[in-house]
Amino acid sequence: MSARSLSRPASLEALDETGVPLAGGTELVPLVRDGLVEAETLVDVRPLLPRGIEAGGTSIGAGTTLADVEHSGEVPNALREACRLAASPQLRAMGTIGGNLLQATRCWYWRLAFPCYLHGGDRCLAREGEHREHAIFAVEPCASAHPSDPAAALLALGAVVETTRRRLPLAELYRLPTEDDRSLTTLAGGELILRLQLEEPDASVYLKAMDRQRWSFPLVGVAAARYGKETRLALAGVAPIPWALGSPADLDAATPLPGTGYKVEIARVLVDRALAAVS
Amino acid sequence: MARLIRTEKEVEGRYTEQWVVVEEDPLDRWPEGPLEVVGRPAARVDGLQRARGEARYTADLALPGMLHAAVLRSPHAHARVRRLDLAPALEAPGVRAAVGPGDCSVLVEEAGYQGAPVAAVAADTFSEAQAALARIRVEWEVLERLLDPEEAVARGELIEEASRYERGDVERGLAGADVLVEAEYRTATVLHNALETHQAVCEWEGDGLTVYVSTQWIWGVRKDVAKRLGLPPDKVRVVCEYMGGGFGAKNDPGDHTYVAAELARRTGRPVRCALTRREENLASGNRHATVQRLRAGAKADGTLTALEGEFTMAVGWDGFVSSTAGPMKMLYGCENVRTVELGAKLTTGPNDAFRAPGFVEGTFGLECLLDELAAKLELDPLVLRRRNGAEADPVNGRPFSAKNLAECYRRAEPHWARREAVRARSEGPWRRGVGLASQIWYGGGGPPSYAWVRVGSDGRASVLTAMQDIGTGTRTAMAQIAAEELGLPLERVSVSLGDSSRGPYAAISAGSSTTPSMGPAVRAAAADAARQIVEIAAQRFEVEQRVLSLRGGRLVSEDGASWALEDVTGLLEDGQILGKGSRGPNPTGMRVLTFGVQVAEVAVDVETGEVRVERIAAIHDVGRVVNPLGASSQVEGGIIQGIGHTLSEQRLLDPGSGRALTVTLDAYKLPTIADVPEIVTDLLDVPDAHLTSLGSKGLGEPPIIPTAAAITNAIRDATGADVRSLPITREEMLRALREARERAFAL
Repeated sequence: MSARSLSRPASLEALDETGVPLAGGTELVPLVRDGLVEAETLVDVRPLLPRGIEAGGTSIGAGTTLADVEHSGEVPNALREACRLAASPQLRAMGTIGGNLLQATRCWYWRLAFPCYLHGGDRCLAREGEHREHAIFAVEPCASAHPSDPAAALLALGAVVETTRRRLPLAELYRLPTEDDRSLTTLAGGELILRLQLEEPDASVYLKAMDRQRWSFPLVGVAAARYGKETRLALAGVAPIPWALGSPADLDAATPLPGTGYKVEIARVLVDRALAAVS
Repeated sequence: MARLIRTEKEVEGRYTEQWVVVEEDPLDRWPEGPLEVVGRPAARVDGLQRARGEARYTADLALPGMLHAAVLRSPHAHARVRRLDLAPALEAPGVRAAVGPGDCSVLVEEAGYQGAPVAAVAADTFSEAQAALARIRVEWEVLERLLDPEEAVARGELIEEASRYERGDVERGLAGADVLVEAEYRTATVLHNALETHQAVCEWEGDGLTVYVSTQWIWGVRKDVAKRLGLPPDKVRVVCEYMGGGFGAKNDPGDHTYVAAELARRTGRPVRCALTRREENLASGNRHATVQRLRAGAKADGTLTALEGEFTMAVGWDGFVSSTAGPMKMLYGCENVRTVELGAKLTTGPNDAFRAPGFVEGTFGLECLLDELAAKLELDPLVLRRRNGAEADPVNGRPFSAKNLAECYRRAEPHWARREAVRARSEGPWRRGVGLASQIWYGGGGPPSYAWVRVGSDGRASVLTAMQDIGTGTRTAMAQIAAEELGLPLERVSVSLGDSSRGPYAAISAGSSTTPSMGPAVRAAAADAARQIVEIAAQRFEVEQRVLSLRGGRLVSEDGASWALEDVTGLLEDGQILGKGSRGPNPTGMRVLTFGVQVAEVAVDVETGEVRVERIAAIHDVGRVVNPLGASSQVEGGIIQGIGHTLSEQRLLDPGSGRALTVTLDAYKLPTIADVPEIVTDLLDVPDAHLTSLGSKGLGEPPIIPTAAAITNAIRDATGADVRSLPITREEMLRALREARERAFAL
């Protein structure tokens, strides 16, 4: 760990842009330890974050743990399943739903601090290197894959994010990296996710392909949520950000790398299965 | 009188000759089957200490004044140190010493792999030591990388000369075959990832050195450290009371021990050098990847006419060429066999022994090839294997000390007979199937090994021997053996091990040899003590020795009279009965091997490539089983590790830099408890009549050997797909399914 201090602000209003917010810590602590996040001060926001599930499972405090969501009887099935199939019981007991949406990629080049595009380098090293876990959509200029299962579920569930500064559709929380800005989210410094609001579906499901039965990030995760005759689809593990799929046919537009073609194959099957499950 | 003889020693298939002193009076063999203590399930004698955190591992050691070392490792796959300046590190807070190439024999100027140790720092805390590393100024000259084993072989970059073997006439065997199969099999580089990383604490006391180390061989560390540091072996004390796993990668002292010893010498303080998980995954050994080009020919009835294999191994910058051709040479009685083993020298981390090195990889190729042959012959795979059994060792014609593989096959029948029912449970995209594979391996152990037994006036016994329990439960097995011989309940026997200054020489815990090497020595020591007790009791109670025996903590006479043991030993007050025992030789001119068969049931989602192992039946013959509970735990551990290698584990290197990408446990995917199938363990438990007074062989390695092939053969049974490359990731499974569909379409 290189962080020097921990602050405990009395209120949300007291937050400023200098510290790095710490909630469950399951992602932040390893990133600080590995030098991937510079943090002079960690700000303990746990007491300030709303925690709990309200409004019949359609309003979720950002401080709610994945374990809470997994065990809730009210939350739509897709989100519950996405939480249940994420991480390990220990991590789910600590990790918060708000923090989960902000997870960094598992790309080994990024995690091991190679000078990759996302770290400000001139090119994505995974494209010509090892990339079996990487993207099939938006593979340029960075082929990393977004690791969050709940993010795909929430995207399909039409989630709106309430932060300390604004309300925005979940899709707008994310951005693809550009030459002058390599970040993958639109959150400003000091801005905190407070609450997630979603639309209750008629039926929803989350299906996940992974390298082992548990504790593995998605090779492909597929969330489907049906609202009347319309079904929304979103994918995890296939693009640098959670990926909304307009229709199953959109998979034809995938641009996999030489080593990720199999993900398109799996996505097709899981999309079909998810659609069947919610129809 | 001590009798000196010349005998053969085998470690994982490598034979050497040695002198050994034999006991005059060999013990009677125990009868088959469960005895009073031996052969009955026993919970680990140290289970509670381990569970409560009371057991002290090397990682738990905190000596007064102890410093912590951190090691500067090469970030490059191949580079030379042009210039190295330790001075800035020495000025960093908390730093007490720093060493570089020339200061310590394991620190190198030419780094042949990422992670090669170049310099080291000792500081008051580990984080200070790590921070100081960043201050070392080092200028690298980056050299050429070589990562591809086949390219290395083409360029003649071999770790040692190619190893060739031939018997019979392979060309004639192939020409005379009715059916031929030919295929290329591949296995990935996999990592040991023992729970406890490699580590040592070194402390100098005068001119003597104490090494606390996580090791599989206390006496090997003692010998190697003494030799390299120029000390008399008696000046090196090695301690390892509890250990968190080794799997073959902790047979040697390792670089960390020498770094700690040198920094301790320079600072006059104890120094810990412990690898982090990332270092562990870079620089502590691996199971080398293999490329196996195999051919087999058979008559229509399944009789093998020829086996041929070219095995290329990705050994690394250093290491050894493991006997991947072993199963092809030894498992079947085929007259015509030709193999060549090529060990590629690469700029990657050195391999190390890893639970049945070579045989895990070679059995995958051979036993899958045999199923491909069975399919082409339209023959039951079990029938094919039975048809080609070897009566004597096909390599040298020697008789086996015991071979009960036919009985293993017979016991496999009910599991094998499930395949119709298993296939019938296929539903939707989930196809189910059953596969099997045979196992052959060493595991006879050997001399020298010694134990002492001490019986006190309270009628309790202690076994003293400087062996190690690497987590397999051998401490419990040794207590059982001593308890059996002394006629004591298990709770009245304790075992003191893990310290070279507290007991006699003991064998390495590698090659499935701890129980077969140590068990007979412990039994002999207990028998020596028991004989003395009977002699004393005969005098005290005025009965004939021959009517007395030790049972249930008592001396029992044939006429029904009995005395509590402590009534005999209590006579001595502070006196003690001391027994000593040693391990005799292995049977001359015989092959001592272990055999077995595993039957796997799998389910494959043919649309997504998901593979689930649902059940594995493991039938092995390892001679007498001392502790059935500990043995089933070994079988389960081997199978789970095998499932990891088969389905999810692989070390990936960045092709551009040669740097490892899978150095943390989220990226390097070991199986979790959710990946564990139903495991049915069936051990024959028949003592090897030619092997020692115990008749036991080792079980550490056999259970991992056939797992990959059994699973892969079950996948073929379920789907018709030929998987020839490990691990069977989603992409590999989908590729094989696609190939099978295309083949079916072409027909």
